[in-house]
Amino acid sequence: MSGAVLYNYDLDIDCYTVRMIAGCLGIALDLRQVDLYPGHKHLSPKMRALSPQGRLPVLVEDALVLTQPLAIILHLAETRCPDHPLLPQDAITGARMLDWMTFAAREMGVAAEARATAMLDAPGDLAALKDRAKRAFRLLDDHLTLQGFDGLGFVAGPEVTLADLMLFAPFALSRDFGLDHDAFPALRLWARRVRATPGFSTMPGIPDER
Amino acid sequence: MTINGWFPLALSGSIPPGIPAGAIVKGTEIVVWRDQAGEAHAWEDRCPHRGMKMSFGVVRGDHIACLYHGWQYGPDGQCRKIPAHPDLDVPRSICVKTYGAAEAGGMIWAGLGAPGDAPVLPEATGVRSLYVDVPLNTALAALPSAFDAGGMTARGPVVTLDTRWGTLRIGLQEIGEAQCALHVTAAGNPGAEARAGIARAATRLRDSVESGTDTGVAA
Ligand code: FES
Repeated sequence: MSGAVLYNYDLDIDCYTVRMIAGCLGIALDLRQVDLYPGHKHLSPKMRALSPQGRLPVLVEDALVLTQPLAIILHLAETRCPDHPLLPQDAITGARMLDWMTFAAREMGVAAEARATAMLDAPGDLAALKDRAKRAFRLLDDHLTLQGFDGLGFVAGPEVTLADLMLFAPFALSRDFGLDHDAFPALRLWARRVRATPGFSTMPGIPDER
Repeated sequence: MTINGWFPLALSGSIPPGIPAGAIVKGTEIVVWRDQAGEAHAWEDRCPHRGMKMSFGVVRGDHIACLYHGWQYGPDGQCRKIPAHPDLDVPRSICVKTYGAAEAGGMIWAGLGAPGDAPVLPEATGVRSLYVDVPLNTALAALPSAFDAGGMTARGPVVTLDTRWGTLRIGLQEIGEAQCALHVTAAGNPGAEARAGIARAATRLRDSVESGTDTGVAA
């Protein structure tokens, strides 16, 4: 297996999530910077050949090209460090993790879109995206509230998993598109716990609280 | 609705040392935070430097630092340090506006205006805060049926309900004309199942009043 190349833009939420999780897993990535804003180089013919949708990040490993964060994260974890504690070893917790990773990709993905619309000149209806992001945050806040009564601090169980790390940035960076954290008390407490994951790193816009 | 000028803002357990939060009372923006010694503070949510929100800031030890340029404020609201000018003796005039802060009944309260004595309430366990996009009166009217309560009494911003989970005391926070928060607490120390039942009833209340359907959640 040769090295994994990640086409990356530092200020993009999905790129940050993949970099941060790779760091927590102890995986070194060969980063290739793409000038997404203001250069719009993610839409260049070269990048379109890799990612026809024009999405970042893109992972390239030999002949394998992956363009969805969920697939990139699972592939890296399962091939490089299948025994890592961020990957639950029992099937039930693993299924819960996958459920919330899919929620991160779909429902919480709206927050990444809203932020890109507000900050990076991406097309989109900001008010509608913000409202959908708020609804996703509420579902997550409801879930973590109930988890808390059972003494479970994370979305899939008592320990942090890849799902929590994937859900983190859309929430942490939501003020960039005008959604405050006031109304999500369970998420504020959970985000603090997620930050304590060994290997966790921040990006611009996420204050380093340590 | 107030007790002597005091307004509930959050459950005590939602504000640990180190994580500031924003809270709005009828349009007044407040930052709530707790220092390392455990004392709660309620200030105007506005940094005197350029007016950014203090609730975006970071709490370290007994001070809170603004996220934007790192100005640091002590528990009295006085600016103590300006990182860009480390040798400067910071003028006394640079000061965040502070409000009264108190804890009662499992909630943190802010005293606005010229508040009287802080409220005194029985000990309670915080269950959850619920943020609802309807006028406070709409949420209030739905409370008894949402919790299948035998009776409801009110004292200022605190309503007391008799329910199958025992006595619930709920702090009412009017955020704006069409937004409110309900800080739900329970008397004594209810178990996990009871707290989950209360939280689920609260969530159903939110979803039904927002969609304008009958609460009908007593089952
Ligand atoms: S706005 Fe707070 S330090 Fe500049």
